[in-house]
Amino acid sequence: MTKLLQTLVDGLGVGSTYALLALGISLIFGVMHLVNFAHGELITVGAYTAYFFFLHGGSWWWMPFAIIGAAVLASMATEFLAFRWVRNASPFTLLLTSFAIERLSHALWQIFVSPKQRAFPKPSWVFNQFKIAGVSFEVMDIVTIGVTIATLVITAVVFKRTLFGISVRGAAEDFDAARLMGVRANRVISGAFGFAGFLAGVAACLILMRTPAAEPSMGSDWLLKAVIAAVIGGLGSFTGAVVGGVVLGLLETLTRAYLPEVATGWDKFSTAVVFIVIAIFFVIRPDGIFKVSHAERV
Amino acid sequence: MGSFVVRMGRSMLGSAVLIAAVAALALAYTSSGGASRESLVAEMLSNFILVLGIQIFIGNTGVLSFGHMAFAQIAAYATAVVAIPLAAKAKALPDIPFGLDNVHMNPFAATAFAVVVTVIIGALLGVAVSRAKGLAPTMITLALLFVVDQLVKNWKELTRGAGGLSGIPRIEGNGWLYVGALVALITAHFFQETRIGRFSIATREDELAAPALGIRLFTSRYVAWVVSIGLTALGGSLRAQSLGSVNPKQFTLDAGILVLVMLVVGGMRTISGAVLGTVLITAGNELFRQLGDPERLDIERFPDLFLGLAMLLTMVLRPEGILGDHDLAGWLRRKMYRRAEVTPTPAVVGTRPLTAREVEVVFGGFTALDGAALTVKPAEVVGLIGPNGAGKTTLFNVITGLVEEHAGSVRLGDDDLTTAGPVDVARSGLARTFQNLRLFQTLSVRENVALTALVAARHRAHRVRPDVDVLLDAAGLTEFADRSAGTLDYGNQRRLELIRAAALAPEYLLLDEPTSGMSDTESLAMVDSVRSIAALIGAGVLVIDHDLGFITRISDHIVVLNEGRVLAEGTPDQVRANPAVAEAYLGSQA
Repeated sequence: MTKLLQTLVDGLGVGSTYALLALGISLIFGVMHLVNFAHGELITVGAYTAYFFFLHGGSWWWMPFAIIGAAVLASMATEFLAFRWVRNASPFTLLLTSFAIERLSHALWQIFVSPKQRAFPKPSWVFNQFKIAGVSFEVMDIVTIGVTIATLVITAVVFKRTLFGISVRGAAEDFDAARLMGVRANRVISGAFGFAGFLAGVAACLILMRTPAAEPSMGSDWLLKAVIAAVIGGLGSFTGAVVGGVVLGLLETLTRAYLPEVATGWDKFSTAVVFIVIAIFFVIRPDGIFKVSHAERV
Repeated sequence: MGSFVVRMGRSMLGSAVLIAAVAALALAYTSSGGASRESLVAEMLSNFILVLGIQIFIGNTGVLSFGHMAFAQIAAYATAVVAIPLAAKAKALPDIPFGLDNVHMNPFAATAFAVVVTVIIGALLGVAVSRAKGLAPTMITLALLFVVDQLVKNWKELTRGAGGLSGIPRIEGNGWLYVGALVALITAHFFQETRIGRFSIATREDELAAPALGIRLFTSRYVAWVVSIGLTALGGSLRAQSLGSVNPKQFTLDAGILVLVMLVVGGMRTISGAVLGTVLITAGNELFRQLGDPERLDIERFPDLFLGLAMLLTMVLRPEGILGDHDLAGWLRRKMYRRAEVTPTPAVVGTRPLTAREVEVVFGGFTALDGAALTVKPAEVVGLIGPNGAGKTTLFNVITGLVEEHAGSVRLGDDDLTTAGPVDVARSGLARTFQNLRLFQTLSVRENVALTALVAARHRAHRVRPDVDVLLDAAGLTEFADRSAGTLDYGNQRRLELIRAAALAPEYLLLDEPTSGMSDTESLAMVDSVRSIAALIGAGVLVIDHDLGFITRISDHIVVLNEGRVLAEGTPDQVRANPAVAEAYLGSQA
């Protein structure tokens, strides 16, 4: 029972990080049908930002603001410098453009900093343990889940109550119609990238508090999981992104904790199982859990 | 049979020219400079096979796959476990399963073994990939890549884990790689000439129009997948034998992206593009690798920069790749095209009426069709009119299998089409056009028509089939035959869609607003076009249009729909005289 509880909390922790990233991917997909493979690079940007500030005496008290700010700016910069120029291209072109940015980001960090890992201090309280009813938790688990919930609430308020959020949802529904209603395409898209950057920045903080280090290709692994989570949930669906992230996180930790060892040396077999499950899921339900209909008129 | 020889000849000729160009370039490069240049050429040639492998699937079907590297990896390991000499194998893999400890094959047998094993695995997994739609196939291939990666790293009895295997007998020189590249070129060229290859291209151009013309999405994608996996396996196996070793690092997502960049930069839709991309990216990659500072032990950094820039610039400046749709094979196809001498066979008018009865369709709570019915007799032109929202297009979609009816039936003579999907409806003799044009945009005008003629040759062989050039003449499109369909003006695009449907040799043509967006003069001309083309193929016509002038001129019989029901029907004069029709159109005061 204790093991199950701890596994679930772990799973929720990883899953909520996936959820934040997947939400950003789903948001961008909604406004411009781009599956943004450069989204994970925002984590890398956050990590190097933290690294540079810690070189000059940074503190974790204000570091989250710096990380989030850098991610927002970087996200909007990718839109301004690259995606704006291919906006009406096919989804295939858009996806490859984001891949190109991912490659470039790796290359630039390698050239201008180092291909090697750069570490910086972590907050002192992160791995402190405490017990509730005999089950011990890490402080970071609670922080992760709490911050994620708070961020999701902010997201919900922004998209339900503010003009910006409503414009974005309208644009995701039908961009041409939204434009006719006076929604400015540039502003909405650039704002959506900014918000996706904010979500990635929050995720970056949660990731960096646990593993405080910067590395050129660190964003890629997170990105792949987040894309998978977003697609599991149903691209373009906000609820779907969150559910997809949490489901993927739980699936990973549960298989790792409970899958019997097939043979000695199959330590990473659980990863294979997760991907097998994902492949089967897409065969059965290609549109994800929450299907977003893009009914085409014929 | 004759056309098969011609197509084969074109494939061979195109391939020969390309391989000769690449070989000349490579031989000039390796004539001085020694072993490192030889190995660069070896790398390029094995990339070449892999790029053509993914071109067959991605280029022709338009479905992005990240998983092909997984199959190159399977083939490379399959080669290794049968090609490594027994003594070395006993040492590296003491617990090797499947009795492979006693198997040793020569290079030819090992390559063949690897390709067969990989194709079998690929064929099984391909069912899942080809069935899925939208982004799902891409995600499935991505998951496959990671599954195979994990299996290779963990199944240490068979693969020795992350360290990889060495001691594969190396092939001497690059001769066999040239042969492999030539095989890859001929396969890729010839695939594009086959019926199924053309069908794959049609599904890439329009996922909705292709089925409506009788092309099954699954079949064409699946065959493309299997052929493409076969070539990829050949590439993986030859690469292993060229390097003499395999390890999981050679087949990561990054390695897959490198191959993808080669395809995309040159132009994924054509084989010439794939070839150009391979040469350029391999050369550029090497150039940037030499720019790295070996002192810093991070020489890989510049190739990443190059790849990122090459891909970004291509996407922004020329998303369809450097060559776009320019292709040696396509050029040959046009140059070697000879108009067939046809003795016109008079069309045979069909004998089966098309009937829809008591059709009911409900979308959510909205009843779109509420007992609508119509009959079209052979060679008759029936106009379907009604105010907006009357259910005209829905009835069309029910008849052609795109929308499922809740009640009612659709029959063509004795054939029940009630539950048939778009592909079967098209094959049994109904060809449709779309309200918002759905042409195969990047294909030439002639190819658009020829594609449906291919479907007709296979599935409508019992009918007299119209000649492609005769149809082009009839629509006045002969002079544009070699232009890509997307560059035609609006009226010509409409006419092209009409003859593309006619090339199916259907018993009925179903035209959804063929004159929308046309001027009055153009609409009038369309009356003659539709009538003459329908007469040419002996087909009846069911046509929706808002232009009452057009409808009353073209129709023998008019059916008026209103609120999902038939409001009136009869000859154009009868319908015009009907007060209920005027009321539905103009409001009660009329």
